[in-house]
Amino acid sequence: MERLQCKIKRFDGKQEYYQNYEVPYEKGKTILWLLTKIREEQDPTLNFTSACRHAICGSCAVQINGNAFLACNSSLDEILETFNSMKLTFEPLKNFDVVKDLVIVWEPKMEKMEQVKPWLIPSEEGTKEAGFIQSEDDYHQIAAPTDCILCGVCTSECNQLAVNDGTYLDPFILNRAYRFTIDSRDGSPEEHIRPVYENELWKCLHCMQCVTKCPKGIPLTDQIAYLRQESIRMGEVKNKGAKHAYAFHDDVRNKGRLNEVMLPIKTDGLVNTAIRKVPFALRMIKKGKINPFHMPKEVEGIRGVRELYKYAQEVGK
Amino acid sequence: MLKFDVVVVGAGGAGMMAALNASEGKDLNVAVLSKIFPTRSHTGAAQGGINAAMAYRDANDSTESHFRDTVKGSDFLADQDAVEFFTSNMPAIISELDYYGVPFSRDENGRVAQRPFGGASSPRTCYSADKTGHVILHALYEQCLKNKVQFLNEWFLLSVVVENGNFEGLVAMDIRSGEIQPIQAKSVVIASGGFGRIYWSRTTNAINMTGDGTAACFEAGIPLKDPEFIQFHPTGLAQTGVLLSEACRGEGGYLLNKDGERFMGRYAPEKMELGPRDLVSRSIETEIKEGRGFGEGMTSYVLMDLRHLGEKKIMERLPQVRELAMEFEGVDLIKEPVPIRPSCHYTMGGIHVSDYKTCSTPIDGIHAAGECCSVSIHGANRLGGNSVADVVLFGKYAGLGAKESAKRRVFGSTKKLEQEATDWMAKFKTIRQKKTGINMFEIRNRLAETMWYNVGIFRTESEMEKALETVDELLEQYKDAYAGDPSETYNMAFINYIEIGNILKLARAVTMGALNRQESRGSHSRADYPTRNDEKFLKHTLIYKNGDKYRLEYAPVTITNYQPEERKY
Repeated sequence: MERLQCKIKRFDGKQEYYQNYEVPYEKGKTILWLLTKIREEQDPTLNFTSACRHAICGSCAVQINGNAFLACNSSLDEILETFNSMKLTFEPLKNFDVVKDLVIVWEPKMEKMEQVKPWLIPSEEGTKEAGFIQSEDDYHQIAAPTDCILCGVCTSECNQLAVNDGTYLDPFILNRAYRFTIDSRDGSPEEHIRPVYENELWKCLHCMQCVTKCPKGIPLTDQIAYLRQESIRMGEVKNKGAKHAYAFHDDVRNKGRLNEVMLPIKTDGLVNTAIRKVPFALRMIKKGKINPFHMPKEVEGIRGVRELYKYAQEVGK
Repeated sequence: MLKFDVVVVGAGGAGMMAALNASEGKDLNVAVLSKIFPTRSHTGAAQGGINAAMAYRDANDSTESHFRDTVKGSDFLADQDAVEFFTSNMPAIISELDYYGVPFSRDENGRVAQRPFGGASSPRTCYSADKTGHVILHALYEQCLKNKVQFLNEWFLLSVVVENGNFEGLVAMDIRSGEIQPIQAKSVVIASGGFGRIYWSRTTNAINMTGDGTAACFEAGIPLKDPEFIQFHPTGLAQTGVLLSEACRGEGGYLLNKDGERFMGRYAPEKMELGPRDLVSRSIETEIKEGRGFGEGMTSYVLMDLRHLGEKKIMERLPQVRELAMEFEGVDLIKEPVPIRPSCHYTMGGIHVSDYKTCSTPIDGIHAAGECCSVSIHGANRLGGNSVADVVLFGKYAGLGAKESAKRRVFGSTKKLEQEATDWMAKFKTIRQKKTGINMFEIRNRLAETMWYNVGIFRTESEMEKALETVDELLEQYKDAYAGDPSETYNMAFINYIEIGNILKLARAVTMGALNRQESRGSHSRADYPTRNDEKFLKHTLIYKNGDKYRLEYAPVTITNYQPEERKY
């Protein structure tokens, strides 16, 4: 019979090490089945968390071969096919503190989440006694973001969090802020957006890993784009992120393409560019990567591009 | 020593609602203790909705009508004063939840939408798509963050300490550090959920629904009320017990035995698969019992076949059901039938609540709310949509009740509290050092098997007597159970060991209650006593535990508006 080779990262509070387990393969099982089988039949000291086993409680997310999955709704057969291997390595989610083995801590994340006031700030239209009137359309706006089960998969997959000093907000926190910002019952959307803006909103890399891996299919990057637009609407245009976005916007409208030489100057300003980017630019020039004298001309279809801008502006109204 | 005015045990819908209400005004020191992170709680699994006679969808609906439906659904075992209190206060709770930010689905006028549900004479079930419990749980957690409610996450309740009828506090373990602590409190709300895991793999319940608070109260001398009433759902997935929606049968799915026969023809020739839940459950188990199922033992099953509906209909009407079967059973319903079997869904009984307005138990200072207890509003059978309603409403009143208790009571002696904490520390040490013994998971699995076959969907005297013997034998074996983890920190094997001890005690009470109730009422179905017997059994079972001795009593049911009549739908 075929055997699965499982390598699990262990942590006892002091030491980290990997331990190997062999489990006979069975068809039609889940990853949670596999972990439970190891724990109950081979090693009761192995710890991971799980509860509902049908993808609503968010307890059981782990990394398998470096990718985050919810264990309960991940089919073993699909995982084996995806990685084309009978060897699976289990590790706790990335970008979390670990308590033991595959068990992570959530409290620091909740403290971080509190910054965005993750609760409804009721508008004056509703009361505790009579509730609110909310249209079906307005309800549908908040339907997808309230699917979030706080499983942490997005955090584990986030490439910005991997390099960030901890200021940048986890995707699920941005989702929570978005969820209240757009709730028609909320009276102070700015109170949710302001802290998002102040915590490096513009640092999302748009790598799309969070969206791809979210077990609930929440469109997290669309929400980040929305929060950015809202911050601009609130008048936050003098930051690098907004300036960078404007540089793209203006260049493409004017010429139909980017002027990469001017981009850092528009984003960071002349002085900062001179201090931080010039040595880097000089190396690029030396290697023939950029030509500082190249001034892009208008592209052939520039009229069409400008029509698109007009159209987008109309739609945006 | 840790000291709080109010401690809430459990952070599901009932626990968080209790904590919000007990801490309102910020004049008391309140803490919530939970063995898991709050949003993992089982309230989140509730899909369909929450009942309240808002009369939005049906202007003729009324709290009176909700009252009548609930009493009828309970097969007249519910206490009618409590049910009336419940139904008349529910509409206000929905508005409160709306104000807390719960994203309810809406009707065309922007009011909270309502849908029809089984046993309800009007469409009064408020909902948020198919994730009602999930969104309520998260909104309550958000309110707790807003109000700075103090959480002790991953703390496990070991005992409720009562000395000479006086509540002293709790003993609990901080799972992460392994420290066992006495916690002094003026009052407590137990909101730790049901105990469907007495059937282990054959339940729709989360793996941690082991009735820890119920067992601790039972141990402290508070009786269990009506533990024998357990609701079963006919279509759980065979491997995991995860619930497969009733919509499968509704859309015309076939139930097949191993001979490929649509066996419901022999049990309900007219309604076939659309017969009532209890009849379908019994029919499936009969097939398995008589050797016409697939597989063996606890993993036996029959098949739910949807293939004849065709790909188009399955994709249009049952896309989520198809996804569920693929994810958890590895089966594509368009191509193959899915293995199913009935599963325990809900425990109507639990900690005896003796005052529904404050959710107080007979011991002053100890309150309880939600599935861990019995008020009783569900009696012998709970209606769909009444469980989430129960947790938020009685969670609120338990919180207010505990607040009032805390203001009235003073911190008492800590003598027994300290003694019990010391005893638990010694026990933890013993279990960690134990090198051999009986595998605790085997004890758990044997318990599940004996409960499933003998005190499950079918109940007869001889089989239940056999179950009682087996449970006693397992209780004996448990004394030599082996957990297998010597570590002090995050020792989940020790937690599982205690959980297994809890379900053993509770299973014994379930069996005793069922054996003594010589009638069929609601979910309790006796082959040897097939009819309801109001003369002898229109009363609540109360089971007391004193050391190894279990004692059964009966208590009257409160009847106000509705005299018992035959329950027909």
